[in-house]
Amino acid sequence: MAEQELVEIEIDGKKLQVKPGSMIIEAADDADIKIPRFCYHKKLSIAANCRMCLVDVEKANKPLPACATPIMPGMVVRTQSKEALVAQRAVMEFLLINHPLDCPICDQGGECELQDVAMGYGKSVSRYTEGKRSVKDKDIGSLVATDMTRCILCTRCVRFGQEVIGLPELGATGRGEHTEIGTYIEKSLTSEMSGNIIDLCPVGALTSKPFRFKARAWELEQGTSVAPHDCVGSNIYVHRHRDKVMRVVPKDDESINECWISDRDRFSYEGLYHEDRLTQPMIKKEGAWQVVDWQEALTFAVDGLKKVIDDNTAAQLAAVASPNSTVEEHYLLQKLVRGLGSHNIDHRLRQTDFSDQLATPVSAGLPISIEAIETQEQILLIGSDVQREQPIVGHRIRRAYLRGTNVCVINPMDYHFNFDVKEKIIVSPSTMLQELAAVTKAVLDQTQNTRHGKVADLLKQVTVSDSHQRMAKQLLGAGDKVVLLGAHGLNHLHSSQIKLLANTLSQAISGQCGYLTEGANATGASLAGAIPHRCAANLGVAKSGLDAKQIWQSQLKAFILLNLEPEYDCADPQMALASLQQANFVVSLSPYMTSTMKDYANVILPVCPFAETSGTFVNIENKWQSFAAAAAPQGEARPGWKVLRVLGNLFEQEGFDYTVSTEVRDELKVAVDGMTMTQTNQDHIPSTLNFSANVDLERIAYPPIYRTDNLVRRGESLQRSGIAEAAAVHLSANTATQMNLADCEQVTVKQNGQHVNLPLHVDGRVPDNCVYIPSGFAETAMLGVTSPAALTLERS
Amino acid sequence: MNRIKHWVKSFTLWELLLGLKLTGRYLFKRKITIQFPEEKTPVSNRFRGLHALRRYANGEERCIACKLCEAVCPALAITIDAEPRDDGSRRTTRYEIDLFKCIYCGFCEESCPVDSIVETDIMHYHFENRGENIMSKPMLLAIGDKYEDDIAKAREQDAPYR
Amino acid sequence: MAVTLNQVCFRTLHLDKPWTLATYESAGGYAMWKKILHEKTPPSEIVDTLKASGLRGRGGAGFPTGLKWSFINRDVPGDKYAVCNSDEGEPGTCKDRDILTYNPHQLIEGMLIAQYVMNATGYNYIRGEFDLPLERTEAAVAEARAAGYIGKNVLGSGMDFELYNTVGAGAYICGEETALLESLEGKKGQPRFKPPFPANYGLYGRPTTVNNTETFASVPVILEKGAKWFAELGKPNNGGTKIFSVTGHVKQPGNFEVPLGTSFAELLELAGGLKDGRTLKAVIPGGSSAPVVTGETMMGLDMDYDSIAGAGSMLGSGAVIIMDDTTCMVKALARVAYFYYEESCGQCTPCREGTGWLYRVIKRILDGNAGQHELDMLDDVASKIEGRTICALGDSAAWPVRSFIKHFREEFEFMIQHKKSILD
Repeated sequence: MAEQELVEIEIDGKKLQVKPGSMIIEAADDADIKIPRFCYHKKLSIAANCRMCLVDVEKANKPLPACATPIMPGMVVRTQSKEALVAQRAVMEFLLINHPLDCPICDQGGECELQDVAMGYGKSVSRYTEGKRSVKDKDIGSLVATDMTRCILCTRCVRFGQEVIGLPELGATGRGEHTEIGTYIEKSLTSEMSGNIIDLCPVGALTSKPFRFKARAWELEQGTSVAPHDCVGSNIYVHRHRDKVMRVVPKDDESINECWISDRDRFSYEGLYHEDRLTQPMIKKEGAWQVVDWQEALTFAVDGLKKVIDDNTAAQLAAVASPNSTVEEHYLLQKLVRGLGSHNIDHRLRQTDFSDQLATPVSAGLPISIEAIETQEQILLIGSDVQREQPIVGHRIRRAYLRGTNVCVINPMDYHFNFDVKEKIIVSPSTMLQELAAVTKAVLDQTQNTRHGKVADLLKQVTVSDSHQRMAKQLLGAGDKVVLLGAHGLNHLHSSQIKLLANTLSQAISGQCGYLTEGANATGASLAGAIPHRCAANLGVAKSGLDAKQIWQSQLKAFILLNLEPEYDCADPQMALASLQQANFVVSLSPYMTSTMKDYANVILPVCPFAETSGTFVNIENKWQSFAAAAAPQGEARPGWKVLRVLGNLFEQEGFDYTVSTEVRDELKVAVDGMTMTQTNQDHIPSTLNFSANVDLERIAYPPIYRTDNLVRRGESLQRSGIAEAAAVHLSANTATQMNLADCEQVTVKQNGQHVNLPLHVDGRVPDNCVYIPSGFAETAMLGVTSPAALTLERS
Repeated sequence: MNRIKHWVKSFTLWELLLGLKLTGRYLFKRKITIQFPEEKTPVSNRFRGLHALRRYANGEERCIACKLCEAVCPALAITIDAEPRDDGSRRTTRYEIDLFKCIYCGFCEESCPVDSIVETDIMHYHFENRGENIMSKPMLLAIGDKYEDDIAKAREQDAPYR
Repeated sequence: MAVTLNQVCFRTLHLDKPWTLATYESAGGYAMWKKILHEKTPPSEIVDTLKASGLRGRGGAGFPTGLKWSFINRDVPGDKYAVCNSDEGEPGTCKDRDILTYNPHQLIEGMLIAQYVMNATGYNYIRGEFDLPLERTEAAVAEARAAGYIGKNVLGSGMDFELYNTVGAGAYICGEETALLESLEGKKGQPRFKPPFPANYGLYGRPTTVNNTETFASVPVILEKGAKWFAELGKPNNGGTKIFSVTGHVKQPGNFEVPLGTSFAELLELAGGLKDGRTLKAVIPGGSSAPVVTGETMMGLDMDYDSIAGAGSMLGSGAVIIMDDTTCMVKALARVAYFYYEESCGQCTPCREGTGWLYRVIKRILDGNAGQHELDMLDDVASKIEGRTICALGDSAAWPVRSFIKHFREEFEFMIQHKKSILD
């Protein structure tokens, strides 16, 4: 695109070169000229309703709103002339007459745009002697507190709902002075990004409920950090007061999260202060748990592990880490375990098919930048509830959609998105592979592509229908294209085949293939070597260790667990727990202690969760983002990397003499920067594709948005919010009728001798002959997530 | 001559008598001392002594946990924790003043939007154990409850000048 | 000089059942429509005729209609719309109601011609409270459709013309053209910020022309009798006729279609004059939003855009509200202020907050509960609403307050001081 010619205008005597067609306020902001405003926000449409930004424009017969007046060449604007000031002060007076001025009890006090602007444009004494308006507060859920009397009706929250999240839940009802912002019918907000209206609200009408009355803005200290829940790595500020995390707010980063963050990133800090938090090392001696000091706990752990290794072999030791751990933790954990002589380490907790692991690249994430998702013309989502899994990626896709991008999906459930889907295929998890194969075949046929001969051979038997042809045609449209694989694709029973087809498909449409990995740091974990088949920085191993599935299957004798709650985090909790229970010695490095953990562990070492430790997350675009601890550790808890370093020292291993976490990161970073991609990205071609389901009733299992990791599971406000799911059985209406079950009744789910009672919901999103039972709940923990073991339902 | 004068004065204890003259003068003057602790000197209604937290007439505590006193305190003597009370109102769960740190500047009282924290004219207090210097919320409220009449009167007297 | 009444919009009023197609056709109705379709008159020619006729928007702002129509590029691909604003909400105005009731076909013909000029779809947005007018207009559209004037391949021309009536829900603000468009789109009726103007970004974001009922209804007659005839009906720059809705303290209130430039005295006479023994105190010449003019000044004015503007008011929608010497101006203003307080859409701060403030202060003056200094404050507050809002409702709310205080300050002062009206 040719550079637009700039035009010259003058604001407050300053000559500026600006883009024609931009608004006065944008030019002023760029030139650092302050114009007061309330309704204007750079990410929202222009409403021009607050009238605070009225400025004096030469040759205009009345003051004009700077936010809605486009630049004209030669324009002369005065933001501080008498006329402008009279207008701005008048608007300020109007805004204040019905504002309660209850700043002392308002959480926005101290960071309030109205307060700030009133300091400059307000009068100390009001001329208004009539009664003030009061508005009833609305209950809009557990995350956002309302004080609607304070509302100045700037409609930023309304526009945010309509434009950004595509969920117009808030709106203005009534007319004139009786206008109110509300949800029409009282309800909880159901967006995964609703917390952003707290930041948008220029006054204290919408404030954070978990943070309510806890601290004032001026007493908070700010630390920067990175959100620990999804592979996007949203930039955040952590605000602490007396070393306690009080709240989390977004940090602007145009290339990642812009100025938004998801509710999960914003409110999960509550989990830091959950009663499960472990603040003292604990060991189990003769069946009884006792609190000990670090020295004793570490010695106990080292002795226990040594004994197992001495009695057996080092191959009897395995380490399993949550993908939400930091790069430093992953790196040190693998260094420790490999130093002890075992390659049994993994972080791919919910994955079950590892057959292609040698063929996959070491950092499989997004080949394009997160920002570039917006400029794709065709997007295919495979097995992804992207809006709930990676809200920021979902938001980028919505932006792309608003620009005109076509989005196609192949999903095991008909998820509701805030963008329209052009073509969709909603089938059971096992059929997903078949459908993907058909679409791939249709693409290969339509392009007469012969470069994928081996794959084409596999697809010979596949029947292609109209819907596949349509989707293929769509995907072959013009422009940049990306195929995005979500959790249901990556954790599929035959994920290697899904990946193969997705890669083939993306190459055939001349697009890219991206993996929306689980957890905050899956890419980092792979690079750091927390995988059985490669050491840190892609160095090969003579013989691969056991992968996450084999670790649990192999009845090993000793385990080191990092940030892990296997009953919620693993593909097959039943098997994982059984494996841990039979082991001789289990060391768990965890911020929380659970009753299950007491059952299987021998030592529990309290490590610091997010915000209390320094570290690095590598996001899907391979961006290394380091952060310092934003708050002091609680009790005796210590950062995981320090604990692992001391364990290394106690095992008398070489190279564990770090003093700061950045040394660990730098050591790995140097290695990664000099990494050679010896293992080329060759396709792993199976002999046949597994199309058939081996059970009658297939389970779809995935932890809902607020059950994904140990921190968010303990975020109590999130658990009470509008989109928090409860453990339940979801069936399509057809399947429920076939099984003679009705909505809302209790049913018993049986699998492998386990049975649980759960309520049944008839759910239009679930395809026939499938049952959606979310994982991540205590109630469903004992059901195998992707286990092919038959699952039956009956009325209880 | 001077030597003779000096010699005579030293024998007649002249200097002593001269001193006693002053003593004698004050012996018959009106007394300005008082019998403390039975008697006390009058105190200004603006005196800044021991702190108190006040209540409204209906018994509701005034403090709304705005934390302005905490922010304004130059000695960092005030510590406040707050959260919503069961009725949803903004209240302190902890309100402490460290009297060792306090410099009795009265800024807390000046900054209070609801006239909750005040400095009373109480000045005769002491601590016997370490830790007693921390005035907790119940203690401050109790002082307020006990001296509310005096506090209210003092504020009323000062009101015209504010 | 006797004034000739009912030459344009009410030209069929004397006939039997003027709202029927038969009557309208008997008076020469739809002749222009047939002629245009038959001759395929170039649209630019029609626009030129309108420009030459000096027809100005009859809704209140008085924008030249020909110029407005010329803004729409008929060759732009995609939908375009011609919208008739029949949401007649201005207090005192009732002219559009009578056009819809008694001469709906002429409006339809006018709209169809506009649609022809702009290659547009037509919408007629009718005020929610208009029951009979809606009934008549709906019947008229049905008749016209049956007669082949609306629909596919109209009169064999190969062109399609669609015209729909829609009904508002009773909001005054929906008479503002962009709020009307929002309402038509099914949204909350709130004015849009301009620019962009409807000619570029109107209904559903498409080029749109919004005209008043009377404007559209004037078009067929102008085309039939020529621009010159129409222009010469009135005064220079104020061509044609205008319907004035005369209400208030007159013997025979009603709608009077007279040439622009008719003197106010003549109009007053047409309405039967003041009641016996009364004198003229004040007149609001263009609907409640127009500034009030004293009776004395008004008697020297002509009823046209420029003359009224010269007296510091405006012709507006042509609602002439006559107030005689029994009118308490404070009470009158309180009623007007209450109207704007209730009808503010709530979008812009000055209007939302200011209208309530104005009303409450005036109410207190009325209740004998205000101070003298508040008169200046009232004027100041009104001045700060004026010109600071997205649409003209802010101005409409401010002007009456400022003009009432300007012209009748002593009545307000008397009431504040004595806690009773100067008339009591």
